[in-house]
Amino acid sequence: MRKLILALLLCLLPVTVMAHDMSGMAMSHEPELGASAAFDAHGRLWVVDAADGHIRVRHSDDFGKTLSPPVIVNPVAERIYDDGENRPKIASGPKGELYVSWSQPRAKPWTGYVRFSSSMDGGRHFSTPITVQHDLADITHRFDALAVDGHGRVVIAWIDKRDQEAAKAKGQPYLGAAVYYSWSDNEGRSFAPDHKLMEHSCECCRIALARTPSGEVTAFFRGVFGDNIRDHAYALLPTNGTAAHAERATFNDWHIAACPHQGPGLAVGANGVRHAVWYEAKNGPVIWYGQLDPGHPAKHKLKIGGSGAGHADVAVHDHTVWVAWNQVDARGYTLMLRRSTDNGVHFDAARAISQVAGAAGSPQLLLWQGRAYVAWNTSTDFRLVPAEVQ
Amino acid sequence: MRRLVLITVLALALVLPVFAQADTLTALTPAEVPVLLKPPAHGERILAIWALDCAYCESNMQALARLQRAHPHEITLVTIATDDIAQRQAIEQRLHHAGLDNYPARAYAATTPDRTNFLIDPNWGGETPRTLLIRADGTHLGISGELTPQQLQKLH
Repeated sequence: MRKLILALLLCLLPVTVMAHDMSGMAMSHEPELGASAAFDAHGRLWVVDAADGHIRVRHSDDFGKTLSPPVIVNPVAERIYDDGENRPKIASGPKGELYVSWSQPRAKPWTGYVRFSSSMDGGRHFSTPITVQHDLADITHRFDALAVDGHGRVVIAWIDKRDQEAAKAKGQPYLGAAVYYSWSDNEGRSFAPDHKLMEHSCECCRIALARTPSGEVTAFFRGVFGDNIRDHAYALLPTNGTAAHAERATFNDWHIAACPHQGPGLAVGANGVRHAVWYEAKNGPVIWYGQLDPGHPAKHKLKIGGSGAGHADVAVHDHTVWVAWNQVDARGYTLMLRRSTDNGVHFDAARAISQVAGAAGSPQLLLWQGRAYVAWNTSTDFRLVPAEVQ
Repeated sequence: MRRLVLITVLALALVLPVFAQADTLTALTPAEVPVLLKPPAHGERILAIWALDCAYCESNMQALARLQRAHPHEITLVTIATDDIAQRQAIEQRLHHAGLDNYPARAYAATTPDRTNFLIDPNWGGETPRTLLIRADGTHLGISGELTPQQLQKLH
């Protein structure tokens, strides 16, 4: 009888093992749509995304109509965040340097490292990836944002939970996360120690970076103010060791303990006007445009979109301002655009400039020689959609 | 006879984990959203919408699970991850860790969540947690953010 029990045990074991394996099995699937794009100084378009644990870079010399075969950035596969708010980034330096950053999930939930690689030979080869942040605890360092300043420094900001962890260890409450940043003076070979930009940021909204007319990098991001008010902050990112000073720059008073999963957009004009777009849902979903006046409510506020509108971006050249966003409905995704020719005081009516029945990543406005284009990664194809009828 | 009972118990113990996964994660396609939104025959259906990135979602789902256990005949609870079901392993692990794997669980069958978000509730921009209460009389109540005790009381 004992043998019978043992035999029964052995017979049944594979069933439970199989069931467990199947539940843990990763399904093969299409790549996520978190991609970023940038023009280099010669008008070549660069596109970065992730597939099968590899960051891949492609380029186009015909404004996105055809893309080159991909060049793999990280030869050793690693886990990569590649969704809309946490997509890989690419930026071009003044001498044609290419910089790529991304966030790497660690084993535990809500954890990550900020990763970085560069190419000094026009995208043919990429350096061995390095971890940007100096704090190597298995906590949140993710939602990286990448920019190059007027002196060619590489600047990276990210969401960081070291202060939250320190508070938790002392048994103290801590709202949200924090934003940290660093920079490199040597084309990304090494990064300065981690600098704090602001405590109490939102945990999972992308950070918008832009360059000011004097060449500094500036950030606009969702913070947590008071008792869980999810408005936005604006701050310059000093690269001379002085402390950053972030100020509240939106005053919608959306009071909520939630992850909005929608970070803002920022573009600074040659005249210093800070054009911004952001999402809040105090009284239902709204995408706002406004001109930031840190410490005070934004000027020229305009409701850009409501129900179904999301993930807006903004660009400016001279007195022309463009705002692009995704509009969803039951049929799929529509890429929408509004344009102002008077520096954001008035905007034209919204126009649909592209559509897809499947899915689409967050749109990204790019400028080349004063013309605006929207990089739009869809489940069908990657598109570079001209903002103007050509 | 006693041994036969023992064998049966052993066999059940081994097979049960398979059936415990009966509420295993299934994909939620846009076409299936109207079925989820259909008013229940009686009582209330609560959709507990969450995301892997969300720092407030597990405690919110656990609070809703406590409410459901307090009213097992009136409330049905369904968890819905807005993440792509391709992340099945991470989603299931998180639900298991939070003690929520006894509830029907769905995850979006989409690489980006916005369209499914819109179909579930056009007056919701994708922030999580999101709680959608569907009553038998066809009325809905949608609340974004971690529910306060007062909001939880309003749900039933």
